[in-house]
Amino acid sequence: MIKNKYDAIVIGAGMSGGWASKEFCEQGFKTLLLERGPNVEHLKDYPTSNMQPWEFKHRGRLTSKDIKENPIASRCYAFREDAKHFFVKDKEHKYGQTKPFDWIRGYQVGGKSIMWARQVQRWSKYDFEGPSRDGFAVEWPINYKDLSDWYTYVEKFVGVSGNKDGLDTLPDGDFLKPWETNIVEDYFTKTIKKHYSDRHVIYGRCAHLTENKPIFLKQGRGLCMGRNICQRGCPYGGYFNVNSTLIPWAMKTGNLDLKPNSVVHSILYDELKQKASGVRVVDSKTMESRDYFANVIFVTASTLNTNLILLNSKSNRFPNGFGNDNDLLGKYIAFHNYRGTISAQYEGFSNFTTKGKKPTSHYIPRFRNVHKQETNFLRGYAAGFGARPHRETIRSGFGEDLKKQLLNTSETGVWNVGSHMMGETIPKITNQVTLDSDKLDQWGIPQLNIDVDYDENDEKMLKDFFDEFTQMYTKAGFINIKTKDNNRTPGNDIHEMGGVRMGKDPKTSLLNRWNQLHNCKNVFITDGACMTSTSTQNPSLTFMAISARAANYAIQELKKSSL
Amino acid sequence: MNRRIALKRVGLIAAGFVMIPYACNIEPEIIYSNLPRIKKTQQQRIGYLSNIILSEDSIKFSTTEPRQEFVLTMVNDCYGPSKIKRFSKGFEMISTELKGIEFEKLSLDQQISFLDRSSQLKNPLSFFIETIKKYSLLHFESSENYMIDYLNFEFIPGRYLGSVSI
Repeated sequence: MIKNKYDAIVIGAGMSGGWASKEFCEQGFKTLLLERGPNVEHLKDYPTSNMQPWEFKHRGRLTSKDIKENPIASRCYAFREDAKHFFVKDKEHKYGQTKPFDWIRGYQVGGKSIMWARQVQRWSKYDFEGPSRDGFAVEWPINYKDLSDWYTYVEKFVGVSGNKDGLDTLPDGDFLKPWETNIVEDYFTKTIKKHYSDRHVIYGRCAHLTENKPIFLKQGRGLCMGRNICQRGCPYGGYFNVNSTLIPWAMKTGNLDLKPNSVVHSILYDELKQKASGVRVVDSKTMESRDYFANVIFVTASTLNTNLILLNSKSNRFPNGFGNDNDLLGKYIAFHNYRGTISAQYEGFSNFTTKGKKPTSHYIPRFRNVHKQETNFLRGYAAGFGARPHRETIRSGFGEDLKKQLLNTSETGVWNVGSHMMGETIPKITNQVTLDSDKLDQWGIPQLNIDVDYDENDEKMLKDFFDEFTQMYTKAGFINIKTKDNNRTPGNDIHEMGGVRMGKDPKTSLLNRWNQLHNCKNVFITDGACMTSTSTQNPSLTFMAISARAANYAIQELKKSSL
Repeated sequence: MNRRIALKRVGLIAAGFVMIPYACNIEPEIIYSNLPRIKKTQQQRIGYLSNIILSEDSIKFSTTEPRQEFVLTMVNDCYGPSKIKRFSKGFEMISTELKGIEFEKLSLDQQISFLDRSSQLKNPLSFFIETIKKYSLLHFESSENYMIDYLNFEFIPGRYLGSVSI
């Protein structure tokens, strides 16, 4: 028997890798799950999850040292005193930037699923049809019908709270009951419905448990308690992360071998068998190099690290990177444009307030260029919408006067409202990642260089968001409307995608409709790297559905000994 | 022994006993690495100032750490070199502005008046005062009782009600 041999190797223990591992293990396949970072065990490794705000030395704020040492990571909204330990520090894994790009990473078992925003919307047929209709990138080899059942499959396991909205732009799923909405969210929903036939304000579907079901009890998860400090890890398992669900589920089968601290150097290619034979790994603690072997390999190391691994996997067959016969590997990277925000106030419902907390707000699905091209830019944007009572405390003066003001904390009767855009960016050959062979990281692997930027389409879309939302807010009677370009650097949206895109033609794409490399069928890429275009939805649900689908295809092929 | 010398020694011993509580302040000096020039007595002055700006109430609004320690920790850890420099300069300006009179010796009204007047200026002194105020407020407003009783903070709400009549 060959040493270190498995049925399947999965690289990366985030959402995509977690799903692939679960599927393989459940169906009896010995699976090696490699994770470059340390293990994070549900409950045991959430050091701040039960800390009260007043127990933090800096009350949640970052120190000047944190910011100085992490100019990139500290720009992420969730990199704060309570959760910074789950983020990769800037000096821990350096990379090059031809243009500024914030590469936000979570190197640990569970990956970024521990600190993610938990918004889960399905793609629609309009999203998959985008590139072929509008003539950019390449045609997707799958459409909504191919993924619909897999969305349902994932949602049932993950637990998604939502409403059945009946929108063809954002298909309904298998939902748990929603959290209560507030009076201003309801008002804005009705106002937009009254003024626009093509625009909808709906409850933001989120990966939180609002109902007990046998599947969740089996996972050992309880209801979401609305604490809204999910980024620390949830002791209730109230939101979905890999650590509380997929990993323990796969572990219970006895088929999972989880190896944290395993940095993948490259994928090994067997020239005789003309397929991948395994993976070369560097132990991040001992720096020892080790090879592991399997019949099938899933590369789910997160979008850019998946690109890095493939680019660094060179052989006689693939001198320019694994599967890279067409020299397109690492190219056509795209992301989401989160630069636009709008805020305002509403003076209505001044006798109402809210109590408690909920883990989601509202969502406005894309309404631009859905059925036909109608603007001077391609594609469109979705947006969030939130409303909460304004609480104003006067803090002027000193001494007793100041204290008296602090003890008078009544609400003003005004509501603060706001939205942020989530724009589709167009994948371009110029937005790409390459390896810098002159700069090796601490594991002897060339550093990744990122060359990604906004373009004119993004600027036009941003302007349209400001114009349209100002109009929508005005129609709703909101006051003090302020728009802001936050000048967010690409990458800071944490939705980078592409580089190993799916497509129908091996000349113009890297992966087929089952996420197999066109020219090496036992290697599958199912994380964000596989995305042909980005649409506007938060992408994690789609990554998970694609991973589950591809893994089940691989399982069928393994059973037929076709891989 | 000469009676006069004996009385002198008794006097010295008695004085020594009286002074012991002051001379043997066993509270250790906390070293703030980015504030090396702010020694223990100056730290205490900052603590005093913070309490004049917003009095600490360790019974009703108890906190994890004393106010003085919190304010100095925040300045030390969260301010970069240029802000630290401006903060220190502002601190030094107090005695200049008060022409050598110690802040502590002023009446409460005079102290408040000085803080009011100085905080209007755009100089290191106002920066210093606003810094102490900012972190004093944060310390007070993040105390458990204030958050629960005045900000309606709930750690585990378990529900959301979207239209509650005030």
